Amino acid sequence: MKSRRSFSAKTYAAVNYAALGLLSLFTLYPFWYEAASSFSSSRAITSGEVFLWPVEFNTDAYKRLLDDGQLLVSAKNTVLVTVVGTLLNMAMTVLAAYPLSKKRLMGRGGLLLFITFTMLFVSGMIPNFILIKTLGLINSYWSLWLPALISTYNLFVMKSFFEGLPEEIDESASIDGANDLAILAKIILPLSKPILAALSLFYAVGWWNSYFQVLLYITRSTKQTLMVKLYQMINQVDASLLNSAGGSEGASQALLTPEAIKAAAIVLSVTPILCVYPFLQRHFVKGVLIGSVKG
Amino acid sequence: MNIRIENKGVYSMTGNVSQAGAEAAAFHPRAAERTGSVFKRRLSRDKYLYLMLVPVIGYYVVFKYAPMVGEVIAFKDYRFVDGIWGSKWVGLKHFRMLFESSDFWKILRNTLLLNVYNLVFGFPVPIVLSLMLNEVRKEWYKRTVQNLLYVPHFISWVILGGIFISLLSPSTGVVNWILRSMGIDPIYFMASTTWWPVVYTLSSIWREAGWGTILYLAAMANIDPQLYEAAKMDGASRLRQIWHITLPGIRGTMAILLILRMGQMMDVGLEQTLVLQNSAVLEVGDVISTFVYRVGLQNANYSYTTALGLFQSAIGFILVLSVNRIIKSFGEKGLW
Repeated sequence: MKSRRSFSAKTYAAVNYAALGLLSLFTLYPFWYEAASSFSSSRAITSGEVFLWPVEFNTDAYKRLLDDGQLLVSAKNTVLVTVVGTLLNMAMTVLAAYPLSKKRLMGRGGLLLFITFTMLFVSGMIPNFILIKTLGLINSYWSLWLPALISTYNLFVMKSFFEGLPEEIDESASIDGANDLAILAKIILPLSKPILAALSLFYAVGWWNSYFQVLLYITRSTKQTLMVKLYQMINQVDASLLNSAGGSEGASQALLTPEAIKAAAIVLSVTPILCVYPFLQRHFVKGVLIGSVKG
Repeated sequence: MNIRIENKGVYSMTGNVSQAGAEAAAFHPRAAERTGSVFKRRLSRDKYLYLMLVPVIGYYVVFKYAPMVGEVIAFKDYRFVDGIWGSKWVGLKHFRMLFESSDFWKILRNTLLLNVYNLVFGFPVPIVLSLMLNEVRKEWYKRTVQNLLYVPHFISWVILGGIFISLLSPSTGVVNWILRSMGIDPIYFMASTTWWPVVYTLSSIWREAGWGTILYLAAMANIDPQLYEAAKMDGASRLRQIWHITLPGIRGTMAILLILRMGQMMDVGLEQTLVLQNSAVLEVGDVISTFVYRVGLQNANYSYTTALGLFQSAIGFILVLSVNRIIKSFGEKGLW
């Protein structure tokens, strides 16, 4: 009896381990498939031979992408948008979260309500577009940064982190004559590294990945970001495939960005995230949990 | 009663916001008692704090509240040359046009349906995944699997969408390659009104299911290990332990997350939909936000689509208020 139970327990565990392993592979396979395609010949891809490994290995797709130069320009733009955007986000989020974490602040309740309301009632796309256009920000990266200066959710996460710090710290500092700015810069921020890291990462990933705002507000092609370039590439493939569904497949094939190039572009834009991911993912998880523990 | 105890770690998005309201309520009665001099003293004591808040308030006024005022163009015939205030008032004309058009009912149906699919098929997946992960005793294996499952959450929808499109391509995609080798005719998934919602839902699950396990795993970690010990003594199998201990232990988390999802029934991820969408599947894939983008911005029907956006915001607002009510009636702290 006893051995039978442990046998069934072992089977149970083995099935569970195997299933989870399979699911992980399943999750990652699409990325692997793109990587394999990006190193395969167009002929092999079009005849559907690529499955696990590159077929007729070559690096033409990457060469063509890098020769084109446009991808590099848009990658530079993305880095600029991401770095400046994240710095602005962090500065503004700290500026908002620190005072609001002080229970003694007069008018705090009203301010919190003022901010919370914007989470409940979200204004539409068109009024926002008109605002940006009226401010003359079209084709400026400020059209991306300014409307997204603070994520209210992140603001509340940071505020509750600050509230969790022991109050004695800044009480003793203010007795020593330090003002709130000095306390924030010299005492609070150094103590807040985990939350600063987590929120910077959330903001940065958001900037790196977003494309809709760019599509909306940036029309000049030299200022386009990586994700918009990719979006145009994918959309173009899609549009011509739709035409070809009507009949003359051969004619429209010529118009396509080859699958291999698309795959290479996807691989190039995923790589930075996958490279930093193993080192940073624990901060991400911590960020989610900090946001959820308090309350 | 149970829910309140079990749910410690999960107020998540909810808890933080809840304080805002509580403090807002607490503030007003006290404010009446304050005298002018106390007011001045506190203002000067906290002057740096208020200074910090100046750009913050400016941001919320200009980029959050001003667009809310801009919603008035839903009641006007807006033209750029006339500006918001110079444009002619037309009352409810755009709303009437909207509710009379068949487009409106189609995109409303699509918006709700895609949300329902995501809820019905997407909601249970992270729960099942966390139950499986929770059974893993080897820490390194558990952590590795978790990290792998999180990956798609950090990838842009452009890329995820592009990958889906090429995986499912009728001529070159690997899925159709498998179908063909089984003797099935290739299917153009992305252009089929039957398959598109399936693909859409699967892509959501692919991106978010792994990430969704974090809160459940945290809730499971809070379950008292003695409960499992006791169950083992009574001879309960692992499956029975899951049923009688783990699942009840995360019931509160499930309830909160479910209700929060209900509050977002009017929102469909714009970036996801836009990249997966194509003209062949607009019948099932056109949602409020993509309609506003295409008809409103690209074809310059500003007032008409602002009316639609306002409708969406208003329903969303009502949904969140109701959700807060429901959560409170469960004896939980509400959203605010």
